[in-house]
Order: sequence, then C-alpha cells, then structure tokens
Amino acid sequence: MSHTSTSRARSRVLRSIELFRPENRELRNLSSVRSYLGSLFPSVKVQLRPPIAETLDGDLLDSLASSLASARVKDPTMPRQKFEPMYGEIDYERRVLDGEARAGGLVYDGRALEDVFSRLLKPSTDQALIVITDRLISTFSTDDVRHHLRTVVCGFPNIVSVPGIVEAPARPREYYLMRQELEVQGAGQLRLEQLKRSFKDRFMDYGDSRTIEVVKGLALQAVFFHFTLDPFCGNRDCRFFNAHWQEDLIRSQIESGGLCKRHARAIKALGARPELEW
Amino acid sequence: MPIFEKSSESSVTRAIISQFAKDMDGFADTDVIIIGGGPSGLMAARDLALKKVRVLVVERNNYLGGGFWIGGFLMNTITVRAPAQKILDELGVKYKMYEKGLYMTPGPLACSKLISAACEAGVSILNMTSFDDIILREKNRVAGAVINWTPVGALPRQITCVDPVALESKLVIDATGHDAMVVKKLEERGLIKTQGFGAMWIEKSEDAVVEHSGFCHPGLIVTGMAVSTTYGLPRMGPTFGSMLLSGRRGADVAYKHLKGKK
Repeated sequence: MSHTSTSRARSRVLRSIELFRPENRELRNLSSVRSYLGSLFPSVKVQLRPPIAETLDGDLLDSLASSLASARVKDPTMPRQKFEPMYGEIDYERRVLDGEARAGGLVYDGRALEDVFSRLLKPSTDQALIVITDRLISTFSTDDVRHHLRTVVCGFPNIVSVPGIVEAPARPREYYLMRQELEVQGAGQLRLEQLKRSFKDRFMDYGDSRTIEVVKGLALQAVFFHFTLDPFCGNRDCRFFNAHWQEDLIRSQIESGGLCKRHARAIKALGARPELEW
Repeated sequence: MPIFEKSSESSVTRAIISQFAKDMDGFADTDVIIIGGGPSGLMAARDLALKKVRVLVVERNNYLGGGFWIGGFLMNTITVRAPAQKILDELGVKYKMYEKGLYMTPGPLACSKLISAACEAGVSILNMTSFDDIILREKNRVAGAVINWTPVGALPRQITCVDPVALESKLVIDATGHDAMVVKKLEERGLIKTQGFGAMWIEKSEDAVVEHSGFCHPGLIVTGMAVSTTYGLPRMGPTFGSMLLSGRRGADVAYKHLKGKK
C-alpha cells in the first residue's frame, strides 16, 4: 500500500471501489456502473458486492434489522430522533433483509443509515464504499428545518438511493398543479398514469430504463466525494450538479451525461493518479 | 290461501334468541376476533374462515363494508391497482380495465360481494357491536376483546348502566381503520407507542401498508389503515387494493401463527 507522510501533507492511494447491490432484484445488474467507473479509474479495482444483508446471519441480521428500524424518519420536521423501534417495524426490516418483503414507502435518515452501514463495513480511505439501496433516504436541513429526500448521501460509506432518483428531485411545477386539480375532481387515482404519460421524459419514474445512467453519475459523484469531500458542481450540464428538479437531474445525468471542464480535468487527473491527499 | 306458513310471535322470538344464544356461546371462546368489518377486516376474515379457522367480526355499525361502498369524493366507482384485481376475480366481482394495471368497479358491487364471500366462508358477525377494551394475559399478550352494544354508547350515561361482555380468542386483528382502536387500548396502558400518520405522500406507501400488516404486539395483528396509524406510514388516498392485500397478509400471518409455523 502506498502511504506517504510528511509534516505538511499525507496521501493514500485509492485501491478499490466497492459497489454493494440493493436488496430487491430490480437493479441488481450494476455491471455497466462497474465498467463506467473502471474506465475512469483504470488502476482502481471496481468490485460488485452482494447486498450487505447477504453477508450476515443470525444475531447480526437481527441487529441490522433493529438498527434500520431505528433509522426511520418519523417526523420530517424534526432532526434525527432516537426511539425504540416497534416489534412490527423490526419484523418488517428483517423480512426485507431476508427478501420476503419489499422496501418502499418509508424514509430513512441518511446519516443514521451511514452510521449503521459504517459499523458493518468499516470504511477506510483506500476503499470507496458505495451502498446502493432500495430505501428512500433523507437529510435534515437547518435552512428550512425539515428533512429532504436525497438521491445520494455522500459519506463513509456513500449511499445511493434508487427510489430517491424518482422521489427526491421535484417534478415539473405544472405536474403538481394538474395533479392537485385531478384530486379535487376525485379522479386522482384514475388519471394519474395518464397525467404521468403527458409528462413523459420530463421526470424519472419507477422502472425507468434510464435509471442505471443516473446511478452511474451518482456513483461517480460518490467516488469524487471520497477524494475531495466536495461532491457538487454549479454547472447544470455536469454530472456533479446537485439537482433539486427532475428536469435538472435528467439534463445533468442523461442529456449531458458528462462532466464540466473543471470536473472532467479533475477526474482525469484522479484517474491517472488516484490519491487522496490531506 | 295465505302466501306464508303459519307461525307465532313466540316462535319467532324463540328462534332469534336461541340462535343468538348459541352463536354467543361459540363467540365466548374463538380463534380470531377481528375488530372492524371494512375491506381489510372482511378480507382477513374470509381467508381465515376458508381455512376452517373460527372467526368473529365485530362491527360497530349496522352495515358491514366500512368505506368500501364508495370511492373518492363520494363517487362510487372504486379503483384497484394490479395485482389486487386477482382478489376481485376470486370474489366474482366484475370490473373494467381503465388502463394497463388499473381496474375499476362499482363500489356497491365489490363491497356486497366481499361481505357475501365472508359470510359464505363461515365468518360470524356481530354488527351494531362496539369494541370496548382488550383482554390481556401473560406478558401482556392480547387474548380477546370486551364488547358492548353500539347503542349503549349513544345513550345518556345515567340510563346506560350496561356492563360489557368479554370474548376470549387466540388472536385479535385490529382492522378499525384510521382509529386503530385496539392498538390505542395498548397505548393507553403504555404498552405500545403509535406514530400517527406520516406527513409525506410517497407512491410506494401502499406497499408499505401491506408489508407492515402483521403482528404489532403479542396476540395482536394490525391490518388496513390501522397499519398506517400504528407505524406512522405515509398518508394515502382511498386505495382499496392495499386494504384487500393487507387483509390477506394479516390472515396469512394469523394462520401461520395458529398452526405454529411462526
């Protein structure tokens, strides 16, 4: 392992990028994400890992289920809260981990999940860990004192939320106005799919074939965070743009699908010399 | 010649009393008591009865079906999303496909068929009967329900000194909708802490309600919208498919428990 130390700066080579698959099977094929990262970081080993739960058993699984239940966001207007999970919540998490139930419809505190996964994976600087999850994740913002859903929570490990790609960035304003109108007319359920179709391509939906492209960008963002602790870019045509709207997400991750000049240079340099410095 | 056979008032009275007394004798100690006769409660009841489990549904209203008679905004077309239409098939409910994966049917048709299916499967029903309290046994396991006539609660207290009766059961299912009345009785005793509705609306929240249907406390299973209240899941609109699937899952969990599988 390359490890240098001086009084002014220290550095460490990134040896591997570990991608952990989600629990549900819809997005298990992450080989194109591996290839994408591998092409940018040719000297770094990019590995696909099974879902975290598949590497655990017995008491560890029970403990993970309990920790996941505790990581739920119960009140979106409150910062991270500690609470004793209910029997049914732990049972549900255990069934999700066992593949007997589907994750969905719940929000987990991204930083709490980071703590849970960190205890299990024990991150180090020479490994960039990216957990792809079927869970919705959020972080609490002190700006408007509420939780916000996220596509990615960068940290150690990084967490990429597949449903977050659909739910976190807002859909076009007109969509919400029209949907509200439908609900007032009592036709919300009946015409929701039609409404969605009329906005086709303007936002990501569940089962969208473009999802994997977005995951590639978010995974790259996570790796960049691992090097720099600064994952975002202000340029809407850069994959590191922090999209709050679906149209911006689609523009930055799919239509552009590339990086701005500054970040392209940075990634090229890191690809040639994948070293973290601090 | 009269249309009907001759009978006396006393025979009619004896028929009602003797059958009701016989029924109540059976209800005093049964397998599963389901509180609430809405879509999830009836679905759970029907599935269990088909497996020869003794089931009693306690419904506070005169009518069964809860909100299943009518859809959103007082319009009586109800919608279900796939795969819940398979349950409509089982119940013999005719429906139309509105678009791929979304089906619609008249509420009165679906509701009456579900009630009929539950009754024909052998479910016992006490309507106009309110849930009053729970019976607790060792380690605070829920082991039955205390019930009373619904009208008793509607009369002035000074003329309603009518004590309730207690019915024992191996399991109780809370299918009381948003009120989660059985779970609330545990909460009053400090045995559980419900979360109320979550504030966020997320498309997959229907899945979450189905997936969380099951035991929330020893002896107590929760189904339908009571699941949302218990666990603080995101609020939903009128989504009957999830109520039916939630009831089915509740029945499945109950049956496995009764058979000692889990």
